[in-house]
Amino acid sequence: MAKRMVLLVGTNKGVFLYTSDAERKEWSLKGPYLPGWEAYSVLGDSRHGNRIFAGTSHAAYGATIRVSEDFGETWTQIEQGPSYSPESGFRLNRIWQLAQGHPSEPDTLFAGAEEAGLFVTRDRGATWRELDGLTKHPTRPGWYPGAGGMCLHTILIDLRNPKRMWVAMSAVGVFRTEDGGETWTPRNQGLARVPTGQPQEEVGYCVHKMVLDPFDPDTLYMQEHGGVFKSTDGGDSWFTIEDGVTLRENDAPFGFPISVAPNGDLFLVPLESSEQRAVAEGKLLVYGMHRGESRWSPIGDVMPDEPRHVSVLRDAMTVDAFDPYGLYFGTTSGEVYASLDRGRNWNRLPGQLSRILCVKPWLVED
Amino acid sequence: MRLEVSVPLLLRDCTGGRSRFSLEADTLEEALRRLIETYPLLKVHVYDERGQVREHVLLYYNDDNVAWLDDLGIPLRPGDKLRVLQAVSGG
Repeated sequence: MAKRMVLLVGTNKGVFLYTSDAERKEWSLKGPYLPGWEAYSVLGDSRHGNRIFAGTSHAAYGATIRVSEDFGETWTQIEQGPSYSPESGFRLNRIWQLAQGHPSEPDTLFAGAEEAGLFVTRDRGATWRELDGLTKHPTRPGWYPGAGGMCLHTILIDLRNPKRMWVAMSAVGVFRTEDGGETWTPRNQGLARVPTGQPQEEVGYCVHKMVLDPFDPDTLYMQEHGGVFKSTDGGDSWFTIEDGVTLRENDAPFGFPISVAPNGDLFLVPLESSEQRAVAEGKLLVYGMHRGESRWSPIGDVMPDEPRHVSVLRDAMTVDAFDPYGLYFGTTSGEVYASLDRGRNWNRLPGQLSRILCVKPWLVED
Repeated sequence: MRLEVSVPLLLRDCTGGRSRFSLEADTLEEALRRLIETYPLLKVHVYDERGQVREHVLLYYNDDNVAWLDDLGIPLRPGDKLRVLQAVSGG
C-alpha cells in the first residue's frame, strides 16, 4: 500500500494541504479551504476513513469544528461540537488543539479550547462534552490569559495508560489527570511563574508548548515563556535544559514551539526576546538537541542568504512519522520549510500563505 | 408571510450553501426562531453562550437593528427583509 505525506497547515485565512510521496522531495499545494476562517487546529485522522478535522473560528462568529471526508474539498460543521453551558460563564472563542485519543480508544478525540477547557468526543466527533473537572478546579478563579488568550493548547496521552493525560494552558500551567480527564492536578513545580498578581502559587505558568518523550512517558519537554524545561517524573517537577540556547545574556530562552522526533531529537525556534518576538537579527535558526546530547546547537540556518524577521507560533512546528523523519515549520509570514536531515538543511515549500497558526503531519495510506 | 433573509457568505455552509433565501413566518419573532430551527448550524455563529446576539453580529429587520426594537412581535409585511450582518468592527 502506497503511503502519501499530507502536511496540514492552518492559517488565519483557512486551511492548506501540501501533498507529497514518501520521498517528500516534491510538494503540491492545495487550498485555501475554509477561506476566511482561522484554523488554529487541524488534525488528519485515518482511523475511520480519511478525515480532516479543523478547529475554525472567527472574531465575529465564534468557534466550531468542521470535518472533511474528501481531503478538504467539502466540509461539514459539527452541530453538537464543543460548547460551554450558559451557567459556566465561559466563552468558546477558539479551538486550539485537536488530538486523537489513545490507540485503545479509536472513536475518541479531544479538543483544547479558548477560554481554556478540554472537550471530548467518544463517537468519532459527532457529539462533544466538556471534561469540566478542569474548569471546576479550585484554582480556576486564579487563571488569567496570556497575550494570545487563555488557551488550552497541548493535549498529551500516556501511551501506557489511556487514563493518564497532560494538558497545558497559557498562562495557567500544566495539569495532569490519572482518571481519563475527570479530575486534574496542577504540575508546575520548578517552572518560571509569571507575575499574575494572584495568590494561587499552583497556577500562573506560561507554558508555550509541551511534548512527550517517545520512549519514556514520564519525560516531558517544554518551551515556556521563561525558559526551556524538562521533567523526568511525569511533570511532578521541572528543571531547565538551556545550555547552548541563550540568545540574550541574562535572559531565559524565549520562543513558542518545541518538537520531538520519533527518535527523540528535540527542536526549538528561539526568538530574540519576549519583547521583540522575532528571530534574532533576522537569522532563522532552528536549534536542536539530538538524542543523547545534553546541549542545544543552532543546527539549521534555514535561509542563510536572506534575513527573515519572522516568528514561529507554538503549534507551527512538527515532525512526521517516516524514517528518516521530516521536520517542518511555518512562519507568521506564511512560509513553510521542511528538513529531511534532522534539521540541518532546509527547503522552502511552494506558496506564500497567510499567518501560519499550526502545521500537522498526516501519513495517508492509499 | 414570506420573508427574504440574507446571511454573510462565510456562513452559507450553515444555510444549505445559500446566502439568500426565504422563510415563512407571521411575525419577526417567529422568523428569528424559524431561522435557527431551519438552520441550526447558524445558531452558534449568531448567538453566544448566553443566548445573546454575538457582539460583532447584527440582525437587521429592514432598516432597523433588531437589538433596538421594543417589540419583536411585529407582523411581517410583503417585501420585508431580515439580514444577518457582521458588524463593522475595526478598520
